[in-house]
Amino acid sequence: MQNKYFINITFLLAIILLLNACKEEEYAIPETKDALQNDVIKRTLGPNLVGQRIEFAYAMAVPRTRGKLVSAQVEASIEGATGTFLENRSFYTNGSGQDVGVKIGEPSATEGKITKVSFTTDTTAATLRYYYVIPEAARGQTVTFNFTANSSNGETVTYAMGPYQISKMDMKLDLAVRDGAASYISIADMAVYTAANAAANADKIDLVYLHRTTPASFAHSLVSPAADPQYLPGITLPAGVNKSTKVSKAFGLRDQQLARLQFGIFIDDLDFQELNLADAPNFAINMRAESGVWVETADGKYRAYIFVNSVNNTNKSAVISIKRFTLQ
Amino acid sequence: MKKHIKILVFCLLVPFVWAGCKKDFPIDEDGLLITNRGECYVSSFELLGSDFQTVRSKAAVIDTTAQTINVEVFFGTDLKNLYPQFSLVTDAKLDPKIVGRVDFSDLSNPKTYTVISGNRKVKKPYTVIITVQK
Repeated sequence: MQNKYFINITFLLAIILLLNACKEEEYAIPETKDALQNDVIKRTLGPNLVGQRIEFAYAMAVPRTRGKLVSAQVEASIEGATGTFLENRSFYTNGSGQDVGVKIGEPSATEGKITKVSFTTDTTAATLRYYYVIPEAARGQTVTFNFTANSSNGETVTYAMGPYQISKMDMKLDLAVRDGAASYISIADMAVYTAANAAANADKIDLVYLHRTTPASFAHSLVSPAADPQYLPGITLPAGVNKSTKVSKAFGLRDQQLARLQFGIFIDDLDFQELNLADAPNFAINMRAESGVWVETADGKYRAYIFVNSVNNTNKSAVISIKRFTLQ
Repeated sequence: MKKHIKILVFCLLVPFVWAGCKKDFPIDEDGLLITNRGECYVSSFELLGSDFQTVRSKAAVIDTTAQTINVEVFFGTDLKNLYPQFSLVTDAKLDPKIVGRVDFSDLSNPKTYTVISGNRKVKKPYTVIITVQK
């Protein structure tokens, strides 16, 4: 009796398997939705810094039978800074990998939070780039975007993006430092001063850049004014320049926004919040190109990361970029 | 049917009994295997800075008789935040363990690390003597 059941069940299962195996799935061209449609991707990566741009690509299309595109607009929750715009060209990538723009209307007009482009060409599909320049007002806040497209038959579609956190960090790129000239670095001002200017901003000088050939391992160095004099050979500090800034060397930390290299590393607010420089020294000797230092100012107000973009041994100079986070 | 179960239980029990009789390998308080090796020395030594780059100006000199490691570091090395790395002979272990940054800044009182052999019977303290390049 039991055996019989077992055989029957096995037989049934085998049949089901066979049936499945014989079924053939035919490919069918997907049918287009008979409506105005849109989609958005965010093209920029990494922390959103004030003054930098967030880039989106906004795609919209309507079936030819239903009409054509009339207008596209983006509404940001916080008004973008000067330079915010929606492209009036629709881009496609050609065979050589180049982005080629096709003009679809007049340049966008921004009124308050809304940036709008009206189509002047007869088109049913377009991909428009939107560049949002992060305003000072958005620092530490979140920002959202509403992308809207309109077609000639009165249809409207909207795509919401975000919220995106805007970083509290500041960034300054490509500051040239030179031994004996522009060598006084201020984190508060994110600037480099000469000895004469440093005296005028003495309370803001956090680090001194210097280059020495002996000992050989000295080379390019970032030393705080209060460091042991053996790390500041031949340097006469301007009056009042006496801060003890904590620095910790890092290697291989090539933040993409600072280095602008191929490495997908980003230093974000959190890195500065979690940074612990309690035991760090106040000098960094022998800095190499593409290395960096974590910095905490003597007053504890700022934490920063100084990246060395390039060094020049002959000129005794270097190019540095700074990301700074304000603690209080 | 009962007979079958009996056989099955018996079959299962046999490996248990067999495993139970097998002598365990001895392990120490760190869960590491205690072996028969009596060798006890440091084969190489590395010192890394806070940026995980070497701070040695040349190879460390390891004297297995005097039980010292002499290492010269670059001028301007931050001696408070260093990561020492010991390579030991097979099965040996180090005491104290290195769990993070080590402060080597007190040059007059060099740090001592004890190497313990594989059989945990031989213990040799090695002194790490650091000099800074001028």
